[in-house]
Amino acid sequence: MESASVGLGQAPPVSEHEHHGPPLANQSSRVDPQFLGMLLFIISEVMLFGAFFTAYFFIRVVNGDAWPAQGDELPKLVAGINTAVLISSSFTMHWALEGARNENRRALRAGMLTTFFLGLTFLCVQINEYVHIGFAPHDNAQGTIFYGLTGLHGAHVFVGLTLLLMATIRSYRGHFSAKEHRGIEIPGIYWHFVDVMWIVVYTTVYIL
Amino acid sequence: MTLAGRFRGPGWYRAALAVPLAYLFAMGLVVAVRALYGWDPLLDGKAIMTVALVAMPLAFLVGIGCFDYWFYWASGRPTREEDHSSHGATSWRSYFRVNTDHKVIGIQYICTTFFFFIVAGLLAMLIRAELAQPGTQFVDPNTYNGLFSVHASVMIFLFIIPVFAGIANFVVPLMIGAPDMAFPRLNALSYWLLPTAGVMMLASFLAPGGAFATGWTAYAPLSTETPMGQQFFTIGVQFAGASSIATALNFLVTIITMRAPGMTFWRMPLMVWAQFTTSLLVVIATPFIAGSQFFVLLDRSLGTHFFSTGTGGDVLMYQHVFWFYSHPAVYIMMLPGFGIISEVISTHSRKPVFGYRMMAFSLVAIVILGFTVWAHHMFVSGMFSWLRVPMMITTMLIAVPTGIKIFSWIATMWKGAIHLRTPMLFALGFITMFTLGGISGIMLAVIPVTIHVSDTYFVVAHIHYVLFGGSVFTIFAGIYHWFPKITGRMYDETLGKVHFWLSFIFFNLTFGPMHFVGIDGMPRRVADYADKFATINLFISISSFLFGLSFLIFLYNMITSWRNGPKAAANPWRAHSIEWQVSSPPPIFNFDEIPTVVGGPYEYGVPGAVHAVFGDEKRKTPSPAGTVGATAGGGAQPPPESQIQ
Amino acid sequence: MSRALRRRPVLGMALVSLIATAVGIAIVLNINWFPVQASSASTEIDTLYDVLLIASVPVFVLVMAVVVYSVLAFRVKPGDLSDGAPIHGNTRLEVIWVTIPFMLVSALAVYGWVVLDDIEAKASNPLVVDVRARQFAWSFDYPGEGKVSSDQLVLPKGRPVEFRIHTKDVIHSFWVPEFRLKSDAVPGLTTHLRTTPTRVGRYHVVCAELCGIGHSTMRQRVMVVPPAAFGRWLSHKKATGGDKSDAGGDTASVTPGVGYGAAVGGLR
Ligand code: HEA
Ligand code: HEA
Ligand code: CUA
Ligand SMILES: [Cu+2]
Repeated sequence: MESASVGLGQAPPVSEHEHHGPPLANQSSRVDPQFLGMLLFIISEVMLFGAFFTAYFFIRVVNGDAWPAQGDELPKLVAGINTAVLISSSFTMHWALEGARNENRRALRAGMLTTFFLGLTFLCVQINEYVHIGFAPHDNAQGTIFYGLTGLHGAHVFVGLTLLLMATIRSYRGHFSAKEHRGIEIPGIYWHFVDVMWIVVYTTVYIL
Repeated sequence: MTLAGRFRGPGWYRAALAVPLAYLFAMGLVVAVRALYGWDPLLDGKAIMTVALVAMPLAFLVGIGCFDYWFYWASGRPTREEDHSSHGATSWRSYFRVNTDHKVIGIQYICTTFFFFIVAGLLAMLIRAELAQPGTQFVDPNTYNGLFSVHASVMIFLFIIPVFAGIANFVVPLMIGAPDMAFPRLNALSYWLLPTAGVMMLASFLAPGGAFATGWTAYAPLSTETPMGQQFFTIGVQFAGASSIATALNFLVTIITMRAPGMTFWRMPLMVWAQFTTSLLVVIATPFIAGSQFFVLLDRSLGTHFFSTGTGGDVLMYQHVFWFYSHPAVYIMMLPGFGIISEVISTHSRKPVFGYRMMAFSLVAIVILGFTVWAHHMFVSGMFSWLRVPMMITTMLIAVPTGIKIFSWIATMWKGAIHLRTPMLFALGFITMFTLGGISGIMLAVIPVTIHVSDTYFVVAHIHYVLFGGSVFTIFAGIYHWFPKITGRMYDETLGKVHFWLSFIFFNLTFGPMHFVGIDGMPRRVADYADKFATINLFISISSFLFGLSFLIFLYNMITSWRNGPKAAANPWRAHSIEWQVSSPPPIFNFDEIPTVVGGPYEYGVPGAVHAVFGDEKRKTPSPAGTVGATAGGGAQPPPESQIQ
Repeated sequence: MSRALRRRPVLGMALVSLIATAVGIAIVLNINWFPVQASSASTEIDTLYDVLLIASVPVFVLVMAVVVYSVLAFRVKPGDLSDGAPIHGNTRLEVIWVTIPFMLVSALAVYGWVVLDDIEAKASNPLVVDVRARQFAWSFDYPGEGKVSSDQLVLPKGRPVEFRIHTKDVIHSFWVPEFRLKSDAVPGLTTHLRTTPTRVGRYHVVCAELCGIGHSTMRQRVMVVPPAAFGRWLSHKKATGGDKSDAGGDTASVTPGVGYGAAVGGLR
């Protein structure tokens, strides 16, 4: 980093009329920048899941071993109920957003809170499942990728919950309005993504 | 400021405090978990190091202040009015703190990455010293493996990929008429992730068992068995990858939503197109290397079985996942260079880019094709044999869009008014050497040939022809081209030309002969080789030292010119694109007023053609763009001031 | 440059390019690129490589000709403020430089495919050799010839061989440069290579995939011997309980360390 210290004469020439901020950027697209940013982030998240699904494909399809490994059992039913819990949280999320759009503070707060707790329930059930499932990630490759995919998804639920928590706190502090609700909308998109991803994980790992 | 205040506020003090704390935290966490499970011993050095490798960089980022604003936001306090306190540079100190100005970040990027280039280049000098003679001279085989692994990883993840992001950071917002990037704080975070990744990779030399020694490709299962050093790569790559995803996302959003009025996609400079397509590649492909390294990390530290064949794992899966990123990565390392070359050749030949639309389409074609060729790195790997021929065909088809670019560049020069300045020389050197490197790539794509030359010095020659003769030459071209804009000073033209010729000659003397030794039977990644290759390797080594020394001229030129070079005019090349219409260096917020784009960016020779106009040019405000008239003007191209509509 | 050429630059360039191409091809074909040809695959691969060279030279020459000519003809003095001709494109040209490279690479790909099929064709009654890699050595088993195992690869000239490549630990790569053949040894997989040795001589099998500290030195001898000598070597191996790869068994017939001529001569 030596060479960084060379650029002394860097103070930009101050123009006659003082500017206190940048000029307003031109909006060259109807898409909201934060929305677009979240969308692109989700694309790259999908690809990360793609990498894990590639591993799943090789372990299960290319190598053709039993799934799950001999003697192991996947709790389809509990996980199915858990799926329902997570999916319903998508609806409560939407409810909260509608609340913000309609200046309905109660709906907003209640929606955020239920979403948060539904997500938390999902995570707890998932952890409980790990405790009782009877095989470990280091038992065999099937176990590895089972924990790999559900764990990766769990990590996303955790991140989503963190975002939701912030949005919930802010909604209780009186933020968000019909005009300004991006702070709900953006974490909401992420949350919907987490839900959809779970449906894919659930179908491939538990059902198929 | 009080001492306590220094430790509380963002900056180096707080970072210096946070990093050791993170180490203690890692220790505590490991001890706690191990106590919980009743494992012995409680203090497991490897586990602590692994956790610390994640915790310490994060702590550094928190300490230096990358997250302050977000923490503030997340805690739910009323949003603070943006005060731009972290924007812009007032002294050299501004470059050593979290800064949200894309121009400052661009310079931070460029200087940091060149630092890493020098380190990785010096490692290459050690490689060549060892290879000067058969047998063991300076380093033992394990250290040697570490040398080329770190050399390649640092070159790729901390030089080529981020330096392009740095150059684009500086020029792209200016080119599209945006006051900054879309997410300035994310931009700062992307930058600060880099030094952490770089320091981590270099620090691996201090790890017990030496640096990671499995090549930059880190094939499993070797990488799941080697000592601790591997962890530094596995985790370091995650930080570098996160950095490039974040920047790419930022570029995409900036280019899509912040273009000046009138700047349609078909009026964007090709540099912007290149950055756009590259960023798409990064966003889509980079998660795959993250995935591959997660697998290795999990196999190493939790004993999972992604790659253990006995229990159902699959070794080739690593290669598929790795190359699904790393082939697109080679275009991540080349497309921004293509953008730079389009700017340089058009500007210094004073002619419109030939076939502008095809140039943009070919970038898109390369992106799409780039995702369908990954297995050409696996022709001898024992993968599904039916996949080889389709991959050979798609790989060879990439010659077509790439050919469009090469041919369009040379057609751009045709009937131009060519100024053979240093950036132009590097552009021509690039065309020469990239064509050679591309042709050796086509040969590598032909399976029967690869069966023989894969994993030999023929591949090493290909790598350096496309990466040094290709990417690095475009980087040099770009640095010289925008040096006046970035620093406000002119570089020394004579030294620049000397630098070019020495590099060009010694580059070819260094890497050209590698084709011969490779075909003749010398494998890559060896510290020792058969005696019959001794003479030619000695020759390569000597050339490489001279080649390395030629870089000193560049370094000297850059440093002295930045300090005392003659002041640069706003538009020394009389170019049309927007970044040249503001002062050199550009004003703190880029523009007083966003310009309006009224035509293509390369309308050289078209009488009266203008790319962009600035709002109230009638009043002739002494706007920062006021210096333009000093040198620009005359010829068919009137200076921008007089281009009042 | 003569005046006539200056007036008709394209013609002149075509002429210069033609000459440069001819010279270039002559040069690259005269370079002795490869090690000796010792297998049936090697001739085909070398020819393929020569064809690739012949196809590449004109491409490179063409690019360079335009670059050099442009620099010579269109360069201006530093102070010159003029602009180039405002040419934005030319559809016919663009179509040409899409189609010709497309056809060229397609043709090369097809040719490559044909050669690939050829060199991988199954032969009848091959000599099967199990190549076993480990960190950092090779061993070779001959399952069809009794329990013979050796730490040097001995092959009879003229008989098709099928290598079945295994590894005990990490990935290695089996490569005999003179055979032009290479295949990784992959944990959990068996990979295959087929060829026919065509030249008596002493070569090396080289590990071509980074496999750890000893990767550089993971090289062992390959001997291609006349069929009769191979038979003698086999029976000698069997007689000495050849599954233990003791150096004595090898020296008796193929004599490593003694010059190539002596060894092969002794075998004859
Ligand atoms: C900047 C980086 C970069 C770029 C741009 C390329 C470009 C190409 N590469 Fe390369 N490649 C690497 C970096 C790069 N490569 C690296 C780092 C490795 C080694 C990885 C490792 O193992 O460590 C590698 C390895 C590699 C292999 C695997 C070798 C092996 O390990 O066995 C192959 C095989 O197909 C290959 C092919 C190609 C092809 C076909 C192109 C094409 O895109 C080239 C296209 C360009 C042209 C063809 C020239 C211009 C075109 C014309 C003038 C038109 C007319 C031309 C014709 C008709 C031929 N590359
Ligand atoms: C962007 C990528 C990049 C760049 C720029 C370089 C630059 C160089 N590389 Fe590298 N290289 C790779 C990417 C790159 N390389 C990759 C991907 C591999 C494969 C690794 C693997 O197998 O996993 C590789 C492998 C590789 C090998 C093969 C190792 C092996 O397989 O065993 C060799 C051997 O000669 C080599 C040499 C060089 C040299 C001499 C330079 C020179 O160009 C460096 C010049 C720069 C400097 C010297 C520094 C600056 C100079 C000064 C500060 C002046 C002082 C100088 C002196 C005192 C001499 N490289
Ligand atoms: Cu075995 Cu390299
Ligand atoms: Cu590739």
